[in-house]
Amino acid sequence: MPEILCCFKWLIDESYIRASSSGELDLETVDYKLSNYDRNAIEESVRLQEEYGGTVSAITVGLPDSTKGVKDALSRGPEKAYFINDDSFENLEPSQTAAILADIISSQINYDLIICGEGSSDLYAQQVGPRLAEKLGIPCISYIQKVQIEGDRIVAEKKVEDGIEVISAPMPVLLTVLPDINTPRIPGLKDTLGASKKPVINISKDDLTVSYEAKIHTNAIIAASMERNCQKFGSETEDIANLARALAKEGVIK
Amino acid sequence: MAGVWIFAENHTQGLELLNTGRILADKTGSRLLSFLWHDHQVAEDYLACGADEVLLLPPLEESQPLEAYIPVIVDELREGDADIFLLAATLRGKDLAARIASRLDTGLCSDCISLKLDEDNTRLEMERLVFGGAGIQKVFCSSRPQMATIPPGTFEAAVPANSRREGKIRELPSSPATAVKILEKKAKERKSANIKEARRVVCVGRGIEKEEDLAMVREFAQVLGAEIACTRPVSEEMRWLPEDLCIGLSGIEIKPDLYIGLGISGQVQHVIGIRDSKIICAVNSDENAPIFDVADYGIVGDLYDVLPRLHEELGKLL
Repeated sequence: MPEILCCFKWLIDESYIRASSSGELDLETVDYKLSNYDRNAIEESVRLQEEYGGTVSAITVGLPDSTKGVKDALSRGPEKAYFINDDSFENLEPSQTAAILADIISSQINYDLIICGEGSSDLYAQQVGPRLAEKLGIPCISYIQKVQIEGDRIVAEKKVEDGIEVISAPMPVLLTVLPDINTPRIPGLKDTLGASKKPVINISKDDLTVSYEAKIHTNAIIAASMERNCQKFGSETEDIANLARALAKEGVIK
Repeated sequence: MAGVWIFAENHTQGLELLNTGRILADKTGSRLLSFLWHDHQVAEDYLACGADEVLLLPPLEESQPLEAYIPVIVDELREGDADIFLLAATLRGKDLAARIASRLDTGLCSDCISLKLDEDNTRLEMERLVFGGAGIQKVFCSSRPQMATIPPGTFEAAVPANSRREGKIRELPSSPATAVKILEKKAKERKSANIKEARRVVCVGRGIEKEEDLAMVREFAQVLGAEIACTRPVSEEMRWLPEDLCIGLSGIEIKPDLYIGLGISGQVQHVIGIRDSKIICAVNSDENAPIFDVADYGIVGDLYDVLPRLHEELGKLL
């Protein structure tokens, strides 16, 4: 029966981000959430467990105050969580996250299957999954829409530009899942209460045995401006006629 | 022998990377080398379009995935002491890039939308979108090669030089067998074939109340000669339209002359997919909907009330 490990990230909810008048992003008043695609990763792990048995654990790398995220992840079904945390784990770039995860997973965790979201909903670099597989020396099937277990192999449908590739790989294997693979269930009150009782294995920076210097350095994050007219019309027939004329004047209706 | 190296999945993407790669190679005074696997016939084209050397990857067996090339590409980049490596940001390209970057222990800028060399012509200054398109992250890579994946269509395609360019064509060794096998390839039903090229797109969001109401949107789109598209909730939660008509993050990105959003609030994950539209027009009943901040023209009103009249008024002008 498969031992499944799903990876998640607790991050800024981008719908709270506003640009300040100076063109900076206002990250002061934001809220946090479980990365959208990681909800699909957790759901798929739990779905596979329901079908094939086995275990589901969750793992994350983050700041010590991401405990709410750990609880959120556990409320979605995993039995326990590995929480690798340190005050310095803010703004890690993908190669660092992958190195830290690989270090802890290879030394402490048994697994047949690792499931990641296709990317994180904040930086969306889509690198941690494939990089983690490389570091662990296991096959990686990325951007999958469907997965099943056949004996000691994984069979998955991978999305490519011109269609789908049905891929088979021997376990252990790492998968990155697309959002259309499933609809994550929404945890109920019981799930949320139950999550507090589940074991959380705290792992600190001192437990790491590898170095993980940043290779990609961020100079700045600025607001993406869209230079648009922002002209609003009402819904009277005259307004609509004016809008139609404006579009014609732009040359897009002719 | 440092240089600039590129890898693309198809010919058009290859030409786009050659264009930007040539500029970087000239500025750094180095060579431009292109991997080529999909069609060895175009090697001469690549030389004419700016490559100094074309590296032919031997064809793969039917069951071998593209990742079979990873060890060969990694060896080549190491031996050549590559300074810059650019890949087309297709799904397979992005996967390949992350894994090659891991093996070379180097940094990778994903979905890079802008890049230029710094004043010393040594460091690439790169930009990419983050937070669902709300922010631009400016990055550089401190290790070598400096790697980036570049979304298809970001740069113009290179055109052949007027004068004959000399260059080398070299065959690379074949790839070792992989544990991962392709069992079957299913071609896509090309529902979204026209969306990316469409000059006009009508896009529906949560403001549409019932699946049947899509009929009136379809009629409207037909009059405009527009393709129909949707936001993620419409394809994923309602399942009223196929997932490959979904615009935005992890969906498709479009660049029409005219985009008309109907009942779309304008979440950043959707907006990232329409930001290159020439004109954005939106209809929404909530005057504070974020879509109006990114629209050229907006109508604040009930979609069901506005659409028939918009249909009529635009129809007069066509």
